[in-house]
Amino acid sequence: MVKSLRKWWPLFLLPTALSFAFGFVIPFAEGLYLSFCRFISISNPKFVGVSNYVAALSDPQFSHAFWLTALFTVVITVLINVIALAIALCFTRKGLRGSNSFRTVFFMPNLIGGIVLGYIWQILINGVLTNVGQQLLALNTAAGFWGLVILMLWQQIGYMMIIYIAGLQSIPSDYLEAAKVDGATAWQTLWKVKIPNLMPTITICLFLTITNGFKLFDQNLALTGGAPDHSTELLALNIYNTFYARAGAKWMGIGQAKAVIFCILVICISMIQLKATQSKEVQQ
Amino acid sequence: MQREKITNRILTVFFTVLSLAWIYPMVMILMNSFKQGTAITTASAFDPVTAATSAGFANYISALTKQGFAAAFGYTLVITLTSVALILVCCSMCAWYVVRVNNKFCKALYYLFVFSMVVPFQMLMFTLSSLADSMGLNTPYNICFIYLGFGAGLAVFMFAGFVKTIPLEIEEAATIDGCNPVQTFFHVVLPIMKPTYISVGILETMWVWNDYLLPYLVLDSTKYKTIPILIQYFRGGYGHVELGPMMACIMMTILPIVIVYLLCQRFIISGVVSGAVKG
Amino acid sequence: MAEIVLKNIKKIYPNEKTKKHRFGKKAKEPEKKSNLQVTDEGVVAVQDFNLTVHDREFVVLVGPSGCGKSTTLRMIAGLEDISSGDLLIDGKRVNDVAPKDRDIAMVFQSYALYPNMTVYENMAFTLKLKKVDPKVIDEKVRAAAETLGITQYLDRKPKALSGGQRQRVAIGRAIVRDPKVFLMDEPLSNLDAKLRNQMRAELIKLRHKVNGTFIYVTHDQTEAMTLGDRIVVMRDGFVQQIGTPQEVFNHPANLFVAGFIGMPQMNFFPATLVRDGASYQLKTPKFTVDIAPDTCKKLAASGVDAAKTDVTAGARPEQIELVAPGEKGAICGKIVVSELMGATVHVHADVNGSEFVLVINTVDFDKSKGSSFGIGDDIWFKFEPDAVHLFDKETEKNLIQA
Repeated sequence: MVKSLRKWWPLFLLPTALSFAFGFVIPFAEGLYLSFCRFISISNPKFVGVSNYVAALSDPQFSHAFWLTALFTVVITVLINVIALAIALCFTRKGLRGSNSFRTVFFMPNLIGGIVLGYIWQILINGVLTNVGQQLLALNTAAGFWGLVILMLWQQIGYMMIIYIAGLQSIPSDYLEAAKVDGATAWQTLWKVKIPNLMPTITICLFLTITNGFKLFDQNLALTGGAPDHSTELLALNIYNTFYARAGAKWMGIGQAKAVIFCILVICISMIQLKATQSKEVQQ
Repeated sequence: MQREKITNRILTVFFTVLSLAWIYPMVMILMNSFKQGTAITTASAFDPVTAATSAGFANYISALTKQGFAAAFGYTLVITLTSVALILVCCSMCAWYVVRVNNKFCKALYYLFVFSMVVPFQMLMFTLSSLADSMGLNTPYNICFIYLGFGAGLAVFMFAGFVKTIPLEIEEAATIDGCNPVQTFFHVVLPIMKPTYISVGILETMWVWNDYLLPYLVLDSTKYKTIPILIQYFRGGYGHVELGPMMACIMMTILPIVIVYLLCQRFIISGVVSGAVKG
Repeated sequence: MAEIVLKNIKKIYPNEKTKKHRFGKKAKEPEKKSNLQVTDEGVVAVQDFNLTVHDREFVVLVGPSGCGKSTTLRMIAGLEDISSGDLLIDGKRVNDVAPKDRDIAMVFQSYALYPNMTVYENMAFTLKLKKVDPKVIDEKVRAAAETLGITQYLDRKPKALSGGQRQRVAIGRAIVRDPKVFLMDEPLSNLDAKLRNQMRAELIKLRHKVNGTFIYVTHDQTEAMTLGDRIVVMRDGFVQQIGTPQEVFNHPANLFVAGFIGMPQMNFFPATLVRDGASYQLKTPKFTVDIAPDTCKKLAASGVDAAKTDVTAGARPEQIELVAPGEKGAICGKIVVSELMGATVHVHADVNGSEFVLVINTVDFDKSKGSSFGIGDDIWFKFEPDAVHLFDKETEKNLIQA
């Protein structure tokens, strides 16, 4: 069968492979090359070695964005996962009324796009800030940061909760019954039975929240756009602004160099993350 | 036992309150979308609509006619439908081929697909949009090829994961029954993969429908605006912001999503879960 | 009308990796496959397979997992390339003919029913692909369903059927094609024991109803014995013996076949074959057995003429009889285990450190209860004349050539 299938590659393989080449492979390779060049359009790049990287790394806005992104990612990863897991534990209790409707409600924001979310919360947060006599988002760094955190909680808790519920439901009830027979308290059952068996799910959720936090763009752009003065600008937005919001031919190359650094960071995080939590997974 | 019941009751009350808070942001936008433009200020954002401030459906009409929401909705719909359909058909075929043939080229390609899932869009945004421009893939009708290329990673990965669980014997039976590979795929493999089509379809729809940066950079945004681009455009500092129509736009963006979600909740949730678990 | 000829068929998997991939489910037991011969070209899964399957014959390929039996079947089906040799169906070389054009049908171990189609659609699928007139399809499907007693399930999906019913559908799917050759790859091994016995009997009935040649693969020697007109015993890619069930049972070609066919397994023990003129005796430190005159003649004819030959002797548990204690030529053992199977009792007796299994009719066993057979007691037995099999100690081949 394989032999006869092999010759059908123009039908099965070609469309996707070709689109993938143009939609990913070529732009990726070109992007890698351009990060060593000075250019304003793709047609006339001039090789300049690593100077883009030097400029990128010495850009104070970039390092500010990096540390802000790191802090932001840590905060939302911890908050989202703890709250989502807690809610999931409540919703998998026996005899809790209405848990299905709650699930529906909590998951809903996840379907709304980042730009729309950003504006909804901009209006809401600005309303709150005005009513408590604080400066608006455009001038308020702390409110911008925590506003983005709250926005992400609103969007992602429902999503992670759903995954945790699926994980909790897939724990064989034998284990829980065995724990009950052995006289474990609810607290002991949680830490000794549920959490260890949930490790694969926790890996997935951590992985998702961390990469989501790191790659965040739309929400950041729509909620504050980096205001005031780039102080709430995360990495992805910083790269975008370096490319498109700064005058001068050198910034394109620097933006591309930043993008490469960003890309390497995201890849490293994903790999470390997977390695670290995979070792803790329960072997079945 | 009694204690459990009381705990459950307290939890129900707690989550009811929390649920109401959870949908409040949307309710707030809904209220404001019916206010007159002058009545929408940051200070009065939480005030309910009154007879004095009510604008009726004026904001909605303005959004649809003057602000170009109808066109944006149409473009978004076209892009989403063509892209997702293309991704589903091409990627499932590609995944089946890659898994079954499994030679060196297929393996390399598969790892590239997996790799592409991790790479952030910023890495390619400039080169990809230039390439799309030069190849003429910058209209809502053919941007789907860009989506196919950039979205192939996740889709192929998920389809391949499922193909690996299909027993080879079924396809061998089809071969003996007289199917050529194309017939085997469409008569036998495709129907078996239906759940994965639903999952991938939902994930890709959510992505394409809400995507902002890719269409913004690739499309000629003076001519074609998708919904996210339109909403961003309201706030993009292009002169006077009409808050009323903007609220109406947001509402009209959310509403179809909420309705679809409530109708096929089961599929969406299970699709998202399987996407996450495999990704 | 179908005669299948396999001439020097060989299957070589270029390297370990491809082999694993192609085997899929069977890759679970890689250690067992390690006995396969590895040459420069790769792993040899099937070696020089020669067989002529006559029209309407039922041939069973049997052997432990990884012996190459499924690979052979898949080569006949066209699912596996033939590395070298010729495969002829009705005199036509079909090595490079696509499976669908070989006029074969195959039943798989996992049934391989299409989950999205109803039973009817499953059975009709192959005819639909051939663009057969829907009326004819309907007739054929209903006739096959009638034969197999699955008419009432025609509208169901495979998911809603039990294992036995799915098996019938799989067979039905093969029948509707009216093929020259039926290929069956362990079709009964996913069923539970009771159902398996029932389906085995039905298969025997079925083969007389349909005109076709059957090639059947199994690891279960009972299935092989009961179903086959001829049995092909395989091991590590080599054909060990081809013969009727009687031949294979009564005259195993080598130690492996002797041990593989028959349940419980044949008892083996090391011994020395001593020739004294025209008569032979089997000697062990504990006992001596006179070889029956018939067997002696055959031994002589096979050229076993050394005064002393080291052999591995074998005796089937069913061909052992109980005798009075102390009788001449009787063997004495200590009972280690006794298992009541119903009509028979399996007694495990220890003779000088090697264990013998004896199958004794429960009736006889009860009678001899007078002399009290409990664990640790002595038991006296004798091999039936003609029942001793003799194998060369080195080559493990049967000393008597057929």
